[in-house]
Amino acid sequence: MGDENTVLDEAAARHLVRRTGFGAREREIEGVVGRTRGEAADILLGFRPKGFRPSGSTIETARGKWVKNMVKTKVPLQEKLVLFWHDHFATGYAKVLDVKRMAIQNKMLRLMCKGDMRVLMKAINKDPAMMDWLDTVRNRKFRENENYARELQELFTLGVYDVNGVANYNQADIVQIARAFSGWDFDDDNNTPFFRDSQHDYRSEFPGRGSKTIYGPTRGGFPAAQSFAQPEGETEIDQVTDIIFRHRDSDGKNTVARRTTKRLLEYFCSGVWATIDATKKAVIDDLILTSNFDVDFNVQSLLRAIFTHDAFYASGAAAPFGSSTPRSVKWPIDFVVSTLRMTGVKGKGRDQVIEGGTFSSLESHLTSMGQVLLDPPSVFGWDWEESWVSSATLLARYTFARDLVTVRSGGGRFKPEKLIDLTLTAAPDLVDAVLAALGVTDEFTAFERNVLITYMGGPSATLDVLNDTDLRERKIGGLFALVLQSPVYQTH
Amino acid sequence: MAITRRQFLERTGAATAGALFGPSFFSNPLLRSAMATTIGDRYFITFFLDGGNDGLNTVIPVSNGSTGTLRGAYENARRSGSGGIRLTPGDLGASGIGDDFATGTPLALHPGFLGFQGNPAGAGGLWALANAGEVAVIQGCGYPSYSLSHEESRLIWQTANPLAVTNAGWVGRALTASGYTGTDVPAVNISSALVPDFAGSSTSVLAIQELEDFGFPYDDDHPEDQLAKRTAVNSLNQLAKPPVGQQGTLQYVGNSGVITLLSSESYPQLHDAYVNNLARRVYNNLYGQIGRGTARDLREIAKVIFGVERAAPNVSARFFQLSNGGYDTHSDQGAAETGGQHYQLHAEVGASIKVFRDDLRDMGQQLHGDPAHIWNRTTIMIWSEFARRIEQNENGTDHGSQGPMFVIGGKVNGGVYGNHPNINEPAWDSEGNSVYHHTGDDHDSTDLRDVYGTVLKHWVNLPAGTVASLLPTDTVPGGGDPDEYWTTADFDLERPSDSEPLFKP
Repeated sequence: MGDENTVLDEAAARHLVRRTGFGAREREIEGVVGRTRGEAADILLGFRPKGFRPSGSTIETARGKWVKNMVKTKVPLQEKLVLFWHDHFATGYAKVLDVKRMAIQNKMLRLMCKGDMRVLMKAINKDPAMMDWLDTVRNRKFRENENYARELQELFTLGVYDVNGVANYNQADIVQIARAFSGWDFDDDNNTPFFRDSQHDYRSEFPGRGSKTIYGPTRGGFPAAQSFAQPEGETEIDQVTDIIFRHRDSDGKNTVARRTTKRLLEYFCSGVWATIDATKKAVIDDLILTSNFDVDFNVQSLLRAIFTHDAFYASGAAAPFGSSTPRSVKWPIDFVVSTLRMTGVKGKGRDQVIEGGTFSSLESHLTSMGQVLLDPPSVFGWDWEESWVSSATLLARYTFARDLVTVRSGGGRFKPEKLIDLTLTAAPDLVDAVLAALGVTDEFTAFERNVLITYMGGPSATLDVLNDTDLRERKIGGLFALVLQSPVYQTH
Repeated sequence: MAITRRQFLERTGAATAGALFGPSFFSNPLLRSAMATTIGDRYFITFFLDGGNDGLNTVIPVSNGSTGTLRGAYENARRSGSGGIRLTPGDLGASGIGDDFATGTPLALHPGFLGFQGNPAGAGGLWALANAGEVAVIQGCGYPSYSLSHEESRLIWQTANPLAVTNAGWVGRALTASGYTGTDVPAVNISSALVPDFAGSSTSVLAIQELEDFGFPYDDDHPEDQLAKRTAVNSLNQLAKPPVGQQGTLQYVGNSGVITLLSSESYPQLHDAYVNNLARRVYNNLYGQIGRGTARDLREIAKVIFGVERAAPNVSARFFQLSNGGYDTHSDQGAAETGGQHYQLHAEVGASIKVFRDDLRDMGQQLHGDPAHIWNRTTIMIWSEFARRIEQNENGTDHGSQGPMFVIGGKVNGGVYGNHPNINEPAWDSEGNSVYHHTGDDHDSTDLRDVYGTVLKHWVNLPAGTVASLLPTDTVPGGGDPDEYWTTADFDLERPSDSEPLFKP
């Protein structure tokens, strides 16, 4: 059992860096090894959010810029968090059809990625891309549109059911919240949100729609239904948001705090957190207690609690993995970016193409793997874990690996001489060098290592990869590709 | 008092609810006896309209008919003029499909189902098939205590279980019950991901976007290394695969890797065989002229079927899935104008299915000397997670309750099935939706499990007892009123006008 004062050994440091960033480079590990979990978490979380905005004349350019930023960033955790929120507040270019608005939202997620979640939620309420995506701009007093009111509760904050399977809200709550959002719009030219009083649903005009209240003793654990019309008008959406963040589940615990904590555990640890039992509930509540997240909703404090908790390090056990070791399928973007960071292969130009070989743009690779950034499949975002895995997406990952190591010309090409010592000749030494270069030595079992050695000709084979160019291309490139295509490498 | 899904979850806990399909389920002798005698040489395709298709603007009351009030109710709920989505009798003049049996209301398909204006590919659309008696329009399909959440409702349709969260999809369970195991590949999803309807089976389901790109990527500059590479890839996947003591996620990736490698050696050739065949090339071009996702996806299915029919090695898929998105028409839905969102979606579906059917008929002539040979062994079932609100909003529709399904094929007894939901305002529930019920009035609903069950029993040929155990319909776990919660389905869906079965013998 450890706590924030537990000193990180190399394995724990590697796990922390891998899960909070993209791959684990030696110098990143050196930055935290030997420090306590608390010190390490503070180092990783101490960044000042950057105002980077992935824009451009086309959405492809914007995606390319974001990927490039992830590959080059010195604060990968910031981008990991932007990805989390992008999935959480999933907004898609397919409907928004405005690169600038997508970029504005992306920048906002970056600036607010570890702050007060209530502030972030209120900003999302008025974010032009989101207002278009979930039809807030089409929500008028005579023709109300429930889309945003539903997803605000279902996806962004409460969830349909709480941890005990009890409904958090009902249709009446959706209808009332939709009233609060009626009349909001944004200026097409400067993307400034504004409130149109004449399109807002006021009680005096629609007495038949009831009082502007939500929840009560049976939903949200409130003593009585909560009014969000004090006063009516422009501030109603903030009042609604504040009420939602005070909602309590059937255990009397803060609903948003528990659900957000669970989601972050799923994201940073593994899919086992998708289902909750009493033990996991206790961990979630422990994290909330430590971080005060149900009071302050400070994401940084919550993340610090997670990154210092045993639950986080439980998913970092080294190979061989037992049946109870939590493992997590890497998101396609994590697979791609961490591989590029570990190999030093660089994309070029707007579309982040790697010259030579058969390589096409990173966007096209990611599309085949099932993750088109800035265009999630729906408002639910992407399905995680095993849902990332299918014959189609595995082949896409295999293809990326093959393409990467067969880029044999151009400035950003694959350069094994920079990754391993080419004077090594023994097959086992070359295998170990490649595993180390990709930062996965601890994740491969002896059996898997033996498969790779067999591929290289067996335990006693020697390969003159320094002087035999053809052999180097074939076997070193092949070895890198094999590791990248292995089942182990698809998970972390 | 009726039990609700939520009460059920509260009572038993979401986790234990999955035990409905626990290990003992698969040791059911009825299931074992069903093995390997089922779908035979037939094909079954599920087609998902993602986002909640507006049923009321898919199958539309043209007039009130003899005893009905549906057209009047439709006009009250759907406005004309700016932002209005009402379809006029004039809009519906060329796409009639017959009457709602109980009320005598003449019905028509949305005019988009006639295909794209000015594009000869797929002209006539789905309506042409309906006119040929190959389309069963099953009205008012749903389940009790509906959910308006896309995710929850989709999952209910995918698992056919309104009561509880189950991991295995309804097709996945049917694949297990059909006796498929390990390295059989009886099903293909035209998708980047395995879809939940097909998940959780005892066998392997492929996800393929384009067959052409389904080969294993070897280093083309070094073919001499290919064998060593293949051996290593296979070994790494096999190592991850053994179930004993192995980590679950890793095991899943390993299993998927094994079947991916095997299939990557047989499926890509199906693309070449199809596009290089002179007869098929005509249809290849027609799909291309439509140029939409549905046409492309159906073309991939046609390529696989062409391969199966020609006994391509290691290709034996019988179950397929495709989907089309864009149905969440909260705004700018459009009425009959050809550029409208809903019109375009229906045109895409209609024209693509028309080309697919013509392709399979021509394929039957080419390979077997009989245009009906393959098409008569093919059924397509179209579903959506819900329909939309009866009353329109500013220029679109919010989420609603039950809606129509389509069952299409050479052996389908075409026509109108089920009952049109009661869309008269006094019949709306407090949320403005029609109410799922089985009270014996003119608007009784059709349970989605009755449609699935009829397909499984009469098309996939699973024994009645097996179908009943796959689709929970006759007992209420934890108690409750079966009339409220469960359909009285016998999985023998009939055309109400003449009691003919859904499928011809």
